[in-house]
Amino acid sequence: MLPVRDIYVLNTKATAGYPSLLARLRELWNYRELIRNLVVSDLKSRYKNSVFGFFWSLLNPLGMMLVFTLIFGVLTPNVKIEKYPLFLLCGLLPWNYFSTSVNGSLYSVVGNTNLVKKVYFPRAVLPIATVLGQLVNFLLAFIVLFAALLIFQANFSPWLWMLPLVLLIQTIFTIGIAFILSTLNVFYRDTSMIMDVVMLAWFFLTPVFYAADIVPQSLTVGGLTINPQRLLYIFNPMSSLINMYRDLLYWGYRTDLDFFVRTAVTAILVFVFGFWFFHRYADRFGEEL
Amino acid sequence: MSVFRSSSLAPEQPVLELCHVGRRFVKRRERNRSFQDKFIRLLSRRNVEQEDFWPLRDVSFSLARGESLGVIGPNGSGKSTLLKLITGILTPTYGEMMVNGRICSLLELGAGFQPDLTGRENIFLNGSIYGLSRAQMNARVESIVDFAELGDFIDTPVRHYSSGMYVRLGFAVAIHTDPDLLLVDEVLAVGDQSFQHKCMSAIQRFRDSGGTLLLVSHDLGSIQNICQRAIWLEQGLVQSAGQPTDVVMDYLRDQALREEQAERLRQAQEGARQEETEAGSTEAGRWGSGKVRITQVMLCDGSGQETGAFASGEPLSVCLHYTAAQRVEQPVFGLAVYHETGVHISGPNTQIGGLTVAGVEGEGEVCYHIPKLPLLAGRYRLSVAVVDGRNNETFDYHDRLYDFQVYPDGRGERYGFVTLGGAWRLES
Repeated sequence: MLPVRDIYVLNTKATAGYPSLLARLRELWNYRELIRNLVVSDLKSRYKNSVFGFFWSLLNPLGMMLVFTLIFGVLTPNVKIEKYPLFLLCGLLPWNYFSTSVNGSLYSVVGNTNLVKKVYFPRAVLPIATVLGQLVNFLLAFIVLFAALLIFQANFSPWLWMLPLVLLIQTIFTIGIAFILSTLNVFYRDTSMIMDVVMLAWFFLTPVFYAADIVPQSLTVGGLTINPQRLLYIFNPMSSLINMYRDLLYWGYRTDLDFFVRTAVTAILVFVFGFWFFHRYADRFGEEL
Repeated sequence: MSVFRSSSLAPEQPVLELCHVGRRFVKRRERNRSFQDKFIRLLSRRNVEQEDFWPLRDVSFSLARGESLGVIGPNGSGKSTLLKLITGILTPTYGEMMVNGRICSLLELGAGFQPDLTGRENIFLNGSIYGLSRAQMNARVESIVDFAELGDFIDTPVRHYSSGMYVRLGFAVAIHTDPDLLLVDEVLAVGDQSFQHKCMSAIQRFRDSGGTLLLVSHDLGSIQNICQRAIWLEQGLVQSAGQPTDVVMDYLRDQALREEQAERLRQAQEGARQEETEAGSTEAGRWGSGKVRITQVMLCDGSGQETGAFASGEPLSVCLHYTAAQRVEQPVFGLAVYHETGVHISGPNTQIGGLTVAGVEGEGEVCYHIPKLPLLAGRYRLSVAVVDGRNNETFDYHDRLYDFQVYPDGRGERYGFVTLGGAWRLES
C-alpha cells in the first residue's frame, strides 16, 4: 500500500477540506521561487518602454494627491482637515494597493491561459503573485508617504512598528479577495464588468478622501435606527485598514487592540474562504479556459 | 475518483499508475460564460443541451522506475488528454491515478516564457514553473546555456528570438530539470535536423541513466527504438499493449485495414453513382473484346483470407475468376503492380511465368502466389488482364482497378518500394 507520509490526496471529494488545504499550502510553499520570479518579471515588464520607469510608482500617488487636494478643497470648503495631503495619502496609497490588486487579480488566471492549459503548477501562485507585485509598488510609494510625513512634520507614532503588521493584514485580506475574483472571472467574464461598478462604490464607501467622522452616527431608516459609521467599519474591512494606517501615520496614535484583532480575524477568514473557494474550482481551470 | 501525488520518489513504487481512468468532457452547444446566459436559461427553463464526450474511457497501466513507455494512436485517440491528466492540468472523471515523483513534460516548450525577460532570466522563471529552487537552477544554468547553443543571445530578451531558438531554450531547460518522469509529446518534430538529433540523444541519455520516460509519437520508428513497452490507444481505450514491435504491428495492420475499408466504401459509392449516371456504358479503366472476362479478383493473405492489407514479407495471392462463353485458345493472364504514385513495379504473367494455358471455356480461376511479399509499406494499385498470347488481342483489361495496402513488418526496411531480400556481410 501507499506510504502515508509525503503523499497527499488531491481532488478527492471526500477529503476536500482542511487536510487538503494544508497540503495545498505546503505545495504553494514549495513553489515560492515561482511566485518570486513572477513578481519580478511582472515588475520588469510593467516599467519597460516607459521613460520614468519605476518612478511612476511615486509620480502616480503624487498626481492623485494633487487632484484630490484641489477638488476636495473646492467642493467642501467648510470641512477643513488639517494637513490634508498627508491625510489623503494615508488613505489613498493603501486603497490604490487594494484596487490595483483587485483589478489585476481578475485577469491573473484568465490572462495566463497559455500557462494554465499547458503546464502544471499550483494555480494559486497566479493571484498571489499579482497581489505581491502590487505590494512592491505600494512599498515604493511609501517613499512619497514618508517624504510627506517629514514635510508636514507629522508626529511619528511610537507604534510605527505596527505598520508592517497592518500591511500584512491588508495583504492577507487582498489575496483572499483575489482568490475569489480570479476564480469567478474564469467561469463568468461578467465579473470584471461588475467589479468596475463595485470598486467605484467601494471607493466612496471607504473613508479615503474624507474622514469617517463625517458619516452620521445615527440614521433612522423606516423606523429603524442604525449607526452608519459603525456599519462602515463592520462591513468594510478596507475602512478599518485605512483607519489603522491613519492612526499610525497621521494621528500618531496606536490602534485599539480589539479593533486590530477584529480586522486581522476578518482578513484571515476572507483568506481561508478564498483559498478554499479557489481550490474548489482550480482543477477545472484547465478545461474552462 | 482520486489522484495521489507525491513529490518524493519511493524507489520500489511505480512512478505512474493508472487504474481504470476515464475522463469526460461536456460538449455544450454554447458555453454559459456569462450571467446573462444563466438568466436566459433559468427563464426559458430549457434543459442545457449538452453531450458527453469521452476522450478516455478506461485506461490502466503502470510505469515502473526506469521504464520507457511509448503511446501510439491516431489523432483524437485520447493521447493528449492522457498526458494532461498525468501532468495534472486535468483531473480524471473516474478511476485512480498515482504519480510518485516529479514530472516534467516536453509538451509545450517555452510555455511561460516572458518575452521581456532575457533568455537567462527565463531559464530561472521556467525552472521555477517546473518547481525547482533557485539553488538548483544555479547549478544547472551553465549546462542549459551550453545545450541551447544560443551564444550571446542568452542575455537578449526572448522576444527577439527566432522560433527555433525559443524551442531550443525550452527543451534545454526541460531536459535539465532531472524529472522522475519525463513526458515527451511530438516535440521531436521541431528544430532543424541537428537539433532534433541532439534532443533525441538527450532523451536517450536520460533513459539510459535510469530515467522514466513516456513518449507519445506518430513516429513509430522512434517508439520502437527508444521504448521498452508500448500501448496503442484508440477511442479512449488501450487496444493493445506489450512489446513495441508487436503493438506497432497491430496498430499498423488495423490502420491499413481501416483505410482499405474506407477506400472500398468510397469506391462502392462512386461505382454506384457511375452506374446511375452512365448505365450501360463501359466501365472506366476496363476494356477488351470480352471473349474471356475476368469476373472477380481476390487478394488473399497467407491463411487464404480475403483482405486488402498485407504485411511486408508475408504471403499474398491474387486469384482471378474468369468466364469464357466459347473456348479460347492459349490465353495469357497477367498482372501489373503499380505504386500509388504511378510507378510500375512489376508485371508478371502466365507466359513469362512458364504456365501454358492450352485453352479456357466456362468458368475457372487462375492464381498468382507470392510467398514473401517484397513490397514495402505503402498503397499499391493492381491491374489484371487476359490477352491472346499469339496476336495480342485484349480479351479483358482492368487498368489499376484494385487497391491494396502494405504495412511494415517491423524489420524496419522502409526506403523505396521493394525489399531486395539481400544479406549484408563484412568482408575482410
